[in-house]
Amino acid sequence: MNRRTALKGLGGITIGLPLLEEMTLAAKAKAVPVRAFNVFFGLGVPAPLQTEGFEGVLEPLKPLRDKLLVMRKVDQVRCDVSGINAHYDGATGSFTAMPAGGEAKAGGPSIDQVIRKTFYPDGMPVGMVPTLIGGTYFRRSRVGRYVHSYHANGTVAGTMQEKPRDLFDRVFGMVSVDVGGDARKQRLKRSVLDTVMGQYKFYTGANSPLGAASKARFTEHLERIREFEQRAFEMKKKLPGAPTLPPRSKVAHGGPADPGGMGIDITLEELTTEWRLMADLYALAVQMDRVRFGSLTFLAAGERIRLKGDYEYGGRKVFQFDDATQHNATADKGCSHEWWHKFNEKKKNTALRAHAHMKMREVAYFLKQLDKEKEANGRSILENSMITISTESGDGRHNDSKRELSGVFHAITGANGRFKSGIVDVGAEGLDVYNTMLGAVGAKGRLGPVKRESRHISSILA
Amino acid sequence: MRQTSFVEKNRTSDGKEASVDAKRVRVKFSQLVVCFFLVGLARPASAWSADRSGDGLVALYDFRLAKGSIVKDRSGVGKPLDLKIENPKNVRRTKGTLEVRGKTLIRSDKPAAKVFNAVRRSGEITIEAWVRPANAKQDGPARMVTLSGGSSERNFTLGQEGDKVDVRLRTTKTSGNGIPSLNSPGRSLAPRLTHIVYTRNRGGRARLFLNGKQQAEKRVPGAMANWNGKYRLALANELSSDRPWLGTFHLVAIYSRDLSVGEVAQHFKAGVNARSTGAQLATRKQSPKEQFFDREIAPLLSRHCLECHDTVNHKGRLDLSKKSTAFATSKKETVIVPGKSAESLLWEVVEADDMPNERDPLSVDEKKLLRKWIDDGAVWAGEEIDPLAHTHDRRVNQNWVRRLTVPEYIETVRSLTGVDIAKEAREILPPDIRADGFSNTAYNLTVDLKHIEAYSRLAGIIVGKMNVRQFAKRFSRKRGFTDDVMRDLVAKMGKWLLRAPLEEHEVAAFRGISTTVAAAGGTFEEALSLLVEAMLQSPRFLYRVENERGDGTAWPVSEYELASRMSYIIWGAPPDTQLLEAAENGQLFEDDGLEAQLKRMLDDPRAAKRSAEFVHEWLNLGRLANMKPNPEKFPQWNADLANDMRAETIAFFDDVVWKQNRPLADLLNAKLTYATPRLAKHYGLPVQGEGLARYDLKSVPERGGLLTQGSVLTIGGDEASMVTRGLFVLRDLLRSGVKDPPPSVNTEPVPSRAGLTQRNIARKRIADKTCGGCHIKFEPLAFGLEKFDGIGAFQEKDEHGNTLRDDGEILFPGTAKPVPYDSSAELMNLLAGSDRVQQCLTWKVTQFALGRPLGPADSRTLDKVHQAAQKGGGTYASLMRAIIKSDLVQKTQTEAN
Repeated sequence: MNRRTALKGLGGITIGLPLLEEMTLAAKAKAVPVRAFNVFFGLGVPAPLQTEGFEGVLEPLKPLRDKLLVMRKVDQVRCDVSGINAHYDGATGSFTAMPAGGEAKAGGPSIDQVIRKTFYPDGMPVGMVPTLIGGTYFRRSRVGRYVHSYHANGTVAGTMQEKPRDLFDRVFGMVSVDVGGDARKQRLKRSVLDTVMGQYKFYTGANSPLGAASKARFTEHLERIREFEQRAFEMKKKLPGAPTLPPRSKVAHGGPADPGGMGIDITLEELTTEWRLMADLYALAVQMDRVRFGSLTFLAAGERIRLKGDYEYGGRKVFQFDDATQHNATADKGCSHEWWHKFNEKKKNTALRAHAHMKMREVAYFLKQLDKEKEANGRSILENSMITISTESGDGRHNDSKRELSGVFHAITGANGRFKSGIVDVGAEGLDVYNTMLGAVGAKGRLGPVKRESRHISSILA
Repeated sequence: MRQTSFVEKNRTSDGKEASVDAKRVRVKFSQLVVCFFLVGLARPASAWSADRSGDGLVALYDFRLAKGSIVKDRSGVGKPLDLKIENPKNVRRTKGTLEVRGKTLIRSDKPAAKVFNAVRRSGEITIEAWVRPANAKQDGPARMVTLSGGSSERNFTLGQEGDKVDVRLRTTKTSGNGIPSLNSPGRSLAPRLTHIVYTRNRGGRARLFLNGKQQAEKRVPGAMANWNGKYRLALANELSSDRPWLGTFHLVAIYSRDLSVGEVAQHFKAGVNARSTGAQLATRKQSPKEQFFDREIAPLLSRHCLECHDTVNHKGRLDLSKKSTAFATSKKETVIVPGKSAESLLWEVVEADDMPNERDPLSVDEKKLLRKWIDDGAVWAGEEIDPLAHTHDRRVNQNWVRRLTVPEYIETVRSLTGVDIAKEAREILPPDIRADGFSNTAYNLTVDLKHIEAYSRLAGIIVGKMNVRQFAKRFSRKRGFTDDVMRDLVAKMGKWLLRAPLEEHEVAAFRGISTTVAAAGGTFEEALSLLVEAMLQSPRFLYRVENERGDGTAWPVSEYELASRMSYIIWGAPPDTQLLEAAENGQLFEDDGLEAQLKRMLDDPRAAKRSAEFVHEWLNLGRLANMKPNPEKFPQWNADLANDMRAETIAFFDDVVWKQNRPLADLLNAKLTYATPRLAKHYGLPVQGEGLARYDLKSVPERGGLLTQGSVLTIGGDEASMVTRGLFVLRDLLRSGVKDPPPSVNTEPVPSRAGLTQRNIARKRIADKTCGGCHIKFEPLAFGLEKFDGIGAFQEKDEHGNTLRDDGEILFPGTAKPVPYDSSAELMNLLAGSDRVQQCLTWKVTQFALGRPLGPADSRTLDKVHQAAQKGGGTYASLMRAIIKSDLVQKTQTEAN
């Protein structure tokens, strides 16, 4: 259990772990488990900037270039729903390749959920979080902006954990049934839970009066009760002197994080401290094999923040963020989002480049956490997993329908040697790309309409 | 029945086979016989479907087979309930009749589950038979049609008692033998072909018709909740074979609803030969082609054509949004020629990608759909395409079980246990997330581990705050762990806490908890506490569980489901004792009974409280607490002012809707408001008194109505964006929408400056060829609000010294001519008077009531709801009544088993 160590975030925050004997390293497992994650970042990378290889905004991904496949010219135009905000369309289309089914509803399952259902049709092993959804984001007018794991019926596959402490709690937390150590009372509480579970089993069974969607909802509820039961009754108590939870977030969450789309002020340090703690915890959850499926979001679709701070990379100062001053505007007009609106191929777009570069740096930070240790087959979790990195749009503008959802940036990991590495101009529809990926990992389901001529994208396969 | 192409091509008008071509000469004689046979049976659906009603049909026997020992169920509904003739020698069969000449029994092999389930659910039944009795003397009653177990146990029996028809129906208020029965008059039954129909509705009204005319009526009260699910369906005898009937059957049908007088007459008129499969009988609200239009073509036209070819823009003088204008000619060419895509200009230009002009062309699949539609006759459903109805996934209106929202949970706990758990619930339960405009949207009411933990903790807290012994005494005064004491208590307490009677397996499950407590040496009180804890975490407590399975058609809800729907829609709380009693007595299925409950419920303060939740959600008033306007521009903004604005809108709504009982549309122009001294000062009103006070605005021309309140005006942000405000009016008041900006247009907002107001900038956009088509539809809606700044203060000049105006034009969706207004007050009056706005309010309230977005499938019902509400005065109360009485609440669209 060499992971039972203190964890350091970028801001030097230290957290510890509760002592839970069920936590085992995936490295100790004989078989490498199937894992799939969706990593989302807001606002996209304009298509012209994607052509610069790893020398432009994609520079932070360069150290991982042998373990990533950057796919350019992935077309998600199908996801555009006219009359609805393009950021949202693209966001719900990322990882599903289908137009949204509602403000909080995707048009179908996300990649990770298709794989999860194939390999774990009866649910995840005991002790695991079925789907872990985490993120650092602020804009939240529609759920689709920030949640990126969806069931087949289009509903969210889990609750977003937007505070690092909440994510920690979701993965590692104990739950209490308020009976202390009284074994008799524990037994009685358990009988209550058993009765409740029995009822949910009835409603998910053959004699249930519920329709398909409602039954699926009760199935989820039942899975959560099982998790609760396991944590409440089967996990050992914390030992005295065990480390404490991570500290509370300092950045805005909930309603105050999105004052009616007008944006918030935040420094680079505040943003990255929060994000890296989130990323560290998510990576830890994966390393401890407490989660094998889910999604992680770095900044929402159409995010509105007025960023400030010096941005450095590789020992050099890249840029000084000061969005409001640089735009000479306040509220939403002073947000980084506006750099995307102002993108002009013929200009330098220095601010936009810096923002996009920074996002790639933070995404790379998370990916590197999964690349630190080797598993039983000699590859890292990063190399063994199918991690899809994508975003909401081609370039975050609203004035070019041919660009908006075409050429959406994508990158994928190797999934245990199934996919190439490097850069490929795919030139294909997102549905075909995702379905090729799903086929390659042996997933049974497919995305998109049943009656559709699909195309196999062999150019991404190893 | 599927017809062979051979038959289709060769059938003449009199149904006989025509001469065959050379290929078919080789067909053997036997095959020809088969084909003749099929021709004889197969008739165009249109010849039959108009004769008999298929709505609610559960079983149908037309005796068309001339031999064999099986009588087939032809309803086409669910699993066929075929009957077997026990003594085939005692019957004589011809095509269309079965004559019972001697004692026999014709019965189902298995219990008649589908009849049992359907009738029990609906609480209604129709038993229909075309028969010819062998004589007018047989009695017993002699069983013609029976769903029973023996001579003294039945669910229903249609029998002959001499020269009368005798019908017995088992309910919770009649005996297990279905007595007292309903009889036709003496000498009403004779040995001749007779059409017999028995109907009974949920309110208990039972009627007996012979040959299309009503012969008897009485009230048969009670519910069918005590029907026995093991009984089989039988003809010509009792299941115990001791009540034989002799005569000839021509047709037997069972429905799970009461046919109307008109339908009974129609069936009689249609005669004994009107017959077909159930699938053809099933009543369709729309033809398949109309459904195809709604499902595929209306969305396609909305997406690709209506931007330029709607009522407003009608480029090329073509308006494709309306049936009345879509089939026009354009430049001497017919745009759509039904049945002939090749001759249709629409197809020609779409196929060549000439249209949509300067937009993405239709995909290959979309072109196929369009062509198919034209070639299939270009059938148009309804009169007008509602583009907004096609925005979302159609699946949003499928059934999603509704979890109690946080406010509903709090109110449910309070109502059922007396415990106020508001503080703890709001702290512990995760908040409900907004989806499609409301946070009670069922598809998004998911649960995660935090919910489970919260429900567990809260259950413990609630029980800790209760005197469980006192609570239990309401249901039973007995104490003890014995089976009869506990089961009785569990059943009664469970019925209250879980809002409907418990099924046997549920009683057993909860009873198990008390057994465990007893085995652990626990007390009666401890058992009660844990029982209540379990019930508070039950799916039936946390969710509004309803039956969603059926035959794929819309089924009436049960009495308990209806009570629950009514109470949660009107109160956001569970049914109270009075409502439950009314449900159990069948009163909710009677007009008077339902109306009495509606009146009582709407007079209850909880109705006003629930409506305040609606307003809070619809206008997203929670947004105000998170706003952060630029402090340099708006130094007067603070959290208290935000709170004042929220309070203003809630109090205003309460005054207009409840105190004055005015039409909902008056929310747009009522000349009053509520303000604190701080808000009054912000608005420039002379301060009146302390706290939140009522202000008469008759002498304040610029204010009056929701759109002039800070809570709505702040939607435009610091810059009071005309685009944002205009879009709000368009979407949330006029129930319309526009497409995305076209390609290659800079959408960056242009700032005002001296000599250039936002209105002038907007006018430029409207005048622009590429922008104006859409912007004309919404920006002028905000012109009337130009004098209100980003946080709702009134000003005659903006920060650059530009004089502001409040006149403009409003283009109502579906019309071509804008209507001018001279002031914001006039704008408010126009909106208040608009049927479109009134309809939008109906849609919004209904969406909140149902907990789901509304789609094209709801349009027709919503029209009826709206008309009914307007007829009742257009008030909130009349709208509530209309919603409750509509099929949206009275029925559930079931999923086929």
